[in-house]
Amino acid sequence: MRKVLRKALDLALGLLMLPMVSLMSLMAQTPATPPAQTFSTTVYLDYRYFLSNAGPMTLEPADPTTAYLNNQFVFRRAYFTYESKISDNLKFRFRFDADNTANVTGISLTGDPVTGTSLKKDDKLRPFIKHLYLEYSDFLIPKMVLNAGMIETLTFKPAEERWGYRSVAKTLVDGYKDITGIEINATSADIGATLKYSFAKFFRMGVGYYNGSAYTHAENNQYKEVELQAQLTPLPGISFVGYMDYERQLPVAALPALTEPKGCTYKVDAAFEMVKNLVLVGEWFTYKNDLYQTAGERYDVGGWSAFGRYTFTPNKLALFARYDRYMPNSLVRERDMSLAIVGFDWAPYHASMKLQPNIWFVNYKNGVLYNASATTNSDIIFNLTFFLSF
Amino acid sequence: MKKIALIALASLTLLGGLLLGAKMVQIKGSDTMVNLVQILAEEYMGKNPGAPIAVLGGGSGTGITGLINQTCDIANTSREWKPKEIDQAWEKGVTPRNFVVAVDGLSIVVNEKNPVEQLTMAQVGAMYRGEIKNWKAVSEFQKPVSLYGRQSNSGTYVFMQEFVLGNKNYSTDMKEMNGNAQIIEGIIQDEGAVGYVGVGYLYDETHHVRKGLKVVKISKEPGGTGYVPTDKAAVDSGSYPIARPLYMSTNGKPKGVAAEFLQWIVGPEGQAVVEREGFFAVGEGKYKAANDKNFK
Repeated sequence: MRKVLRKALDLALGLLMLPMVSLMSLMAQTPATPPAQTFSTTVYLDYRYFLSNAGPMTLEPADPTTAYLNNQFVFRRAYFTYESKISDNLKFRFRFDADNTANVTGISLTGDPVTGTSLKKDDKLRPFIKHLYLEYSDFLIPKMVLNAGMIETLTFKPAEERWGYRSVAKTLVDGYKDITGIEINATSADIGATLKYSFAKFFRMGVGYYNGSAYTHAENNQYKEVELQAQLTPLPGISFVGYMDYERQLPVAALPALTEPKGCTYKVDAAFEMVKNLVLVGEWFTYKNDLYQTAGERYDVGGWSAFGRYTFTPNKLALFARYDRYMPNSLVRERDMSLAIVGFDWAPYHASMKLQPNIWFVNYKNGVLYNASATTNSDIIFNLTFFLSF
Repeated sequence: MKKIALIALASLTLLGGLLLGAKMVQIKGSDTMVNLVQILAEEYMGKNPGAPIAVLGGGSGTGITGLINQTCDIANTSREWKPKEIDQAWEKGVTPRNFVVAVDGLSIVVNEKNPVEQLTMAQVGAMYRGEIKNWKAVSEFQKPVSLYGRQSNSGTYVFMQEFVLGNKNYSTDMKEMNGNAQIIEGIIQDEGAVGYVGVGYLYDETHHVRKGLKVVKISKEPGGTGYVPTDKAAVDSGSYPIARPLYMSTNGKPKGVAAEFLQWIVGPEGQAVVEREGFFAVGEGKYKAANDKNFK
């Protein structure tokens, strides 16, 4: 029965693609004037200053008297997006993304000039393809939208759209690995298809079907990921979004009893936007993966986040604040961490050029013991974020 | 700790300074309406110097997005809100109220050298869908039809698509222009051209139809009587088939300067400006009743 279901799911993606393929062949036969095309760029970078003596958790040196890095410029992200409106209903998007997160975490603090060893791993910003998809609005029926290709997943959207400060920090689930170092099955883009439909202003749904390997890897197993999302908006400005995803995992030799391991994410977002210029959001999630075990017992990875922003003058000045709680191991609560962010968003000249000064307060247990005797570290980091979008 | 205190102090000083700025009513949206609303705003500000109002174009879609994202106080729209936009507004806690401030007879215009005097709604729709490619299909004129229209963020684009094209796609041969003025420039220079513009854009400074343009009569059915959008009686009675209300939308019941400005526009002084600029007044019918309800 399961095999039949899996084959049916595999077929679903192919079937979803069929109308797109037939449409593309039709378009190829129709001589047309060039479609409306747009190019846009978004860039953000930080000047970062570590205000606490302990330094940031990811860069804490073994000996603070040597190679202590207390400030840096970080070129965090550059997007280049090309969009082509092929017809009223059909749109194509291609997006290059470039970041150097790997370089930041890969810097060797014991390298040159202190010891003479090379710091050079790969200092360049590397572009990679983030989006490569077709979007078909009013697909089959009005208010149904199909996306196919390397597309945005449904996972982060509800929180990210309301947080609005991706330039300052990723949202809870998106940035989970960066903060805790724990891998969860969450990505912003993947190869597959999504189908979204708005039943009424009160209720909308989305389903996604992907290869499950995200945009960073080629698919390495036969299993696919399925996402389901439902949004309820009972009153203007009050929304609840429920989300879940599922993917079978490859068995591992260390856990021979697990022949069909699986991973699932459950997530709920609640948003309050009833007061003009004020957005308040709460998000909770848990990730359950059969392969995540401590001494033969499965542990869950989870967390919650509360954030808000208040806009004093649209496109000019806003204040934002956020508190995240990370629980990377439900069996070892000493590993829990917290992150608080406060800052403001200021566009002194034009809405496309912003200054976003912000402070991060990170609280975590020091070292790798993760027990009750571990000392607590609190890092305070000031970022002056420059946001440019043209 | 001293560093944190300094940063916090600097931030608060900056915030305080920025918050002391005067509150301006921001209006954004329809390019068909931008000139009209700018003139209305200038006249209103002349009489009420303490009421700053800024008016920008960008298209009805841009105005609606601005109202949903709360980056403007009033959205000018030359079409009704789409279901998708109503859903988005609901999600963001925005409850639009749509005030009808003028009526526009959407004008079908051709180059003055084109002998065509009258078209049916169906013929105009067929041209814009790309089904009629030469004027000889509707007249003795032997010229390829050259289509001029607006970009898809324009309310006029959407209105034409719904009411004239029967919700079908525009021909991919249509030249998508940035505004009404660009359409008119294109038609004056292109003998095979046909375009659609708001009635307020037909006239020059002397209040005559611009040189080089011809306004085509439109009939509902083949063989029916044709009317032009400059005929107020035909627009009021519904005989001219491509007339539409022009809206100014607010988030909920308007307040303060925005409410006073809207009251003035739909009142006798504002409506006199509307007529002077070539559009039609709202009148005493259903639109006035809807406006009165929206103010309550």
